[in-house]
Amino acid sequence: MRAGVIKAYILKELTELFRTRLIIMVYLMPSMILLLFGYGIRMEVTHARIVILDYDQSHYSQILTSKFEDSIYFDPTVMKIEESKALHLIKQAKADMILIIPSSFEKRLIHGQKTEIGLFVDAAFPTRATTMESYVQGVIFQASTEVGEGKLPKGMITLNSRNLFNQAMRDENAMVPGLIGLVLLVAPAILSALLIVKEKEKGTIFNFYASPIRKHEFIIAKLTPAFLLHSLNIFILFLWATYLFEVPFRGSFALYWFAGEIYILISLGIGMLISIITRSQIAAVVLTVIVTLLPGFLYSGIILPISAMDHESYIMAHLFPVMYYNHILYDTFLIGEGLDSPTNQLYLGILLLYAFILLMLGTLFLKKELR
Amino acid sequence: MMRVFWTIVAKELISFLRSWGLLAVVLYALTLDVYIAGAGMQIKPRNVAIGYVDHTGGGISRKILSRLHGPEFVPPQRFLSQKALSDAIFNKKILVGILFDEDFEKDYRQGNTAVMNVLLDATAASQSFTTLGYLQSIIMDFSKIDFPVTVKSHKLFNENADNHTFMALSEMLSVITMLSILLPAMVFVKEKEEGTWDIMLLMPIDAKLTILAKSFSQVIIIMVGTIICVGFVLFGSFDISMNGSFWAFVLLTFFYIFTTAGIGLFVAAVSKSILQVAQLSMIIMMPLIFLSGAWTPVYAMHPVLEKLSLISPLRYYIEGCESIFYRGTAFIDLWPYFAGVLVLGSLLYWYGFRKIGKLF
Repeated sequence: MRAGVIKAYILKELTELFRTRLIIMVYLMPSMILLLFGYGIRMEVTHARIVILDYDQSHYSQILTSKFEDSIYFDPTVMKIEESKALHLIKQAKADMILIIPSSFEKRLIHGQKTEIGLFVDAAFPTRATTMESYVQGVIFQASTEVGEGKLPKGMITLNSRNLFNQAMRDENAMVPGLIGLVLLVAPAILSALLIVKEKEKGTIFNFYASPIRKHEFIIAKLTPAFLLHSLNIFILFLWATYLFEVPFRGSFALYWFAGEIYILISLGIGMLISIITRSQIAAVVLTVIVTLLPGFLYSGIILPISAMDHESYIMAHLFPVMYYNHILYDTFLIGEGLDSPTNQLYLGILLLYAFILLMLGTLFLKKELR
Repeated sequence: MMRVFWTIVAKELISFLRSWGLLAVVLYALTLDVYIAGAGMQIKPRNVAIGYVDHTGGGISRKILSRLHGPEFVPPQRFLSQKALSDAIFNKKILVGILFDEDFEKDYRQGNTAVMNVLLDATAASQSFTTLGYLQSIIMDFSKIDFPVTVKSHKLFNENADNHTFMALSEMLSVITMLSILLPAMVFVKEKEEGTWDIMLLMPIDAKLTILAKSFSQVIIIMVGTIICVGFVLFGSFDISMNGSFWAFVLLTFFYIFTTAGIGLFVAAVSKSILQVAQLSMIIMMPLIFLSGAWTPVYAMHPVLEKLSLISPLRYYIEGCESIFYRGTAFIDLWPYFAGVLVLGSLLYWYGFRKIGKLF
C-alpha cells in the first residue's frame, strides 16, 4: 500500500467524474428513482372505475350504490346499458369492474331469499383484480350488515385486528424504506460498472497495465471516490423519506448509516465485477441494470414478504444482499429494535462478509496484463 | 436508393452479430431474465406464516386453526406467550399472529360475541390485508352466518388471476424499452466517438436515409429478440393465452420500437460519448417505465404524473399489449394505442433528423 500513489489516482478519478459529468448521475438518479417509485407505485387500489348496472332501481339497490359512491376506493358510474355493452367498456380499458344488481334484488331480500350480485373484474392486472374483488365484497358486507342490523345470529366471532409497525396502513411506510434498498443497490453499481470498462474501451487501461500500481491499490483508488460520493446519498435519501414521504424513523441513525455504507460497498463490488468481465460500456450498463434492478425489486420484500415466497425464490432471495439490508432498513424506520435483535446482528454480519467476498473476488479476477 | 438502404442495414446487423458480448447480453435479457421475473413471483399470499397463542381449552380455536391450510398458509405455529409471538413478528418469521384469550371460548359458547385478536405485520401491507380477508371469510363460514347476499364474481381474461404471465409480460415490455433506446443511440454515438459519423454525412447519400437505415437495423434486432421471447418464454414456458390477434401485437411492437428508437436518436443527438448515452438513457428510461402504468394504473397516479404519462409511448404500448393478450380487444378498438405511439414517434424522428442529420 503506497498512500501517495493511491492519493494521486483518487484525485485523477475525482477530476474525471466531475469532467465527464458522471457526478450528475450520482446525485440525480437515486433521488429520481425514489421519487418516481414512491409516487408512482401504489399497492392499494383507489379510484377503481366500477360500472354499476342497476336493474332493480329500488331502495336497497340505491343504498348499495351510495355505499360505493361514498368509498374512496371506487369511482362508480351507474349506467343503464346492456351487459354486453358494459363488457365492451372493459375491453376498451374504460372500466375495471361491472357490478350487476338483478331486477328482483329488493323483493327477494325482503322475502328472505338469497340473491346473487354479479361482479365482473378485469383481471389483466391480476393483483389489482384480487384486491378490487375483496374491496367490493367488503362494501357489500358492510352495506348488508347495516341494513340487516339486529338480525344477526348470536355467537358471532369478530375479528379485532391490529396493524403493527404501520398503524395507518400507509403505502409510503411500507414502500419507501424498501425503495432505498433498491436505489442504493442500482445506482452505485452502475457507476462502478462504468469505471473500469470505460478505460478498456478507450484504451487507457494500458496505463494501468504498464504502471507499477498494484491490483488492490488500483481497486481502492477506483472505488474510493465513488464510495465517498455515494455516501452522501444515504443522507439525501433519508431526508426524502422522512420529510417528503413522512415515513417515521424509530430506530438508531448510526445503524442506518453504518449498514448503508456497507451496502454501498457491496453494490460497488457488484458493479466492479461486471466491469471486469465485460468489454464494452453498453454491455456493462445493460448487464448491471438487469442484474441489480430486477432482483433488487423482486427480493426486496416490497411486493412480497420473503417468508411467503415459493421454494426457489426463497433460496434466491437469500442469495441476494438486498433482503438482509432491507430487513435492517425496515427495522430502523418502522420498528426500532436496533442491534438488540439477534437477527439484525446476524444480517449485519452477513452484509460485511458479502462486501468482503465481492471485493476479494474483484481483486482476484482483475487482470494486470493483456489477455 | 433501396440498395444503399439495405447495405447500411446489413452492415449494422453484421457488426452487431460480431460483438458477441452484446449479443449474449441481449439474448439473456430477452429470455432468462424474463423467465426469472415470471417464474419467481407470486404476489398472492402463499405460505403465509401464522403464529398463535392459545389460552383457551382449545376446542373452538383448534377448529378455526385447522382451516388455515395450504397453499395459502403454512401450518400455524404455536407460541407460549404473547411476547414470544410478537418477537417472531418483529423478526419477520411470522406475518400474522392470532391471540385467543381465556374468554374467547366461554363467550362463544354462551352466545356472546367472541373477539379474536389478530396482529398483522403491516410492512407487508397488501399481503396482510388479503390475509385478513381470508380470515374473515373463514370465520364467517365457521359461524355459519346465513348471509342473504352473495357476490358471484368472475375474473375476466385471466380466471385464476395468474401472476406469472403478467410479470413476465411486463418484464418483457420493460426490457424491450430499455434495449430499443440504448441500442439505436449506441450505433450513432459509436460512430460519433470514432469520428466516422462526419464521413457518413459527407457521403453523397441523403442523411435521412442513413439515419433511417441505421435505426431500422436495430429495430430488426429487437423485433427478432421479441419474437424469440414471445415464442419461447411467453408461449413456451408460461403458456400465456393470447386472446387477440398476434399480428396486431407484432405491428404494434414494430411501431413502438421505432418510436423508442426515436428516443434513442434524440439521446444520440445530444450526447457526445457512450458514457453520456448511458447516463441520459437511464434518466429517460426510468420515468418512462414507471410512468407507463405497468405497476400502477395511470388514473390512480398523482395528477401531475398522470398528465406526464401522456407523453410516455410505453403507456400506449402496455395498454395495447394488455388489451391484445388478455382482453382480446378487436383490432378496430386498438386505434388509440397505435395513434399515440405513431404521433410520438414521428415527433421524435423529426427532431432527430434535424439535429443529428446536419454536419454543421
